[in-house]
Amino acid sequence: MEDAEAIKRCQQGEREVFRHLVERYQKRALAHGTAILFNRNDAEDAVQEAFIDAFKAIGTFDTSRTFYQWFYVLLRNRCYKLTAKRRPTESLDEALLITAQPGMSAETTLGLEKALHSLTCEEREIVCLKYFDGLSYDELATHLQIPRGTVMSRLFNVRRRLQRKLSGTLVPEQEV
Amino acid sequence: MKELSCEDVLMAQMAAADGEVTEEQLAAHIAHCADCQHELKQLQTLDQLLTGHTLSESSVDLWPAIEKGIAKRSALTWRPFALIGLLLIVHKLLEMLPAQDPGMMFKLVPLVIIALLFVFIKENPFRINTELVLER
Repeated sequence: MEDAEAIKRCQQGEREVFRHLVERYQKRALAHGTAILFNRNDAEDAVQEAFIDAFKAIGTFDTSRTFYQWFYVLLRNRCYKLTAKRRPTESLDEALLITAQPGMSAETTLGLEKALHSLTCEEREIVCLKYFDGLSYDELATHLQIPRGTVMSRLFNVRRRLQRKLSGTLVPEQEV
Repeated sequence: MKELSCEDVLMAQMAAADGEVTEEQLAAHIAHCADCQHELKQLQTLDQLLTGHTLSESSVDLWPAIEKGIAKRSALTWRPFALIGLLLIVHKLLEMLPAQDPGMMFKLVPLVIIALLFVFIKENPFRINTELVLER
């Protein structure tokens, strides 16, 4: 079933149809929630609440956007609401947030994960959207509701922070 | 025209690498700046490292919990409010009974009911909402 049809039927009160949208986007939403919160349980809570928010607000769905673009605003709201009452961070014995593509060592991935963990929620979010979702500056500005110039400066600062965190360990390994 | 600092150039260079600005504007500075060249090399290595990873996606089934949540929130939408409305109407009717002085405590009942409502919906009416606003 196409998103547009599912949304239309949800707007007519068919709750069961909403299941298609949940099943289609829950993995992606959970990955994004984890990127912001760095805690799987909190991310699951946020994603669940955001989907419930989406169902309640489906009558106001903006057809000029895709479902996930619209939903992402709700998800962010839920995630940032949760950051105020966070649980202790999960241990970083293994990578929670990222998966290495072939050619990357587990050690490198864990080092990068730790560096990402040291960032703020906003910084981690912009890195994930830029590198893992491949959004352009304009798309980032829309997603994050910030000016394009802020996108550039935030990306610049976060890259520098990551580079400093990783300079002693990971970068030399890449150069070998 | 304002002269570019190393930081300006580095930021712009990364933007160029992302396809957002042209490289010609920056090449002249970098060609003569060893600091910029060193920084850029490190930042480009970081880019390679990040693009060598993807976000982890785990298999989950959140639908049962979401379905329950939708049903729960639907039930919440009208019943407590209907009950409170009924209580307030009853209170008003009692207040209108002639030749009765219900006393100060009775007059405070609506305030108590409203306070209980805020406790029930877990909202603080005096909190300034600084959270993100739902985009229309």
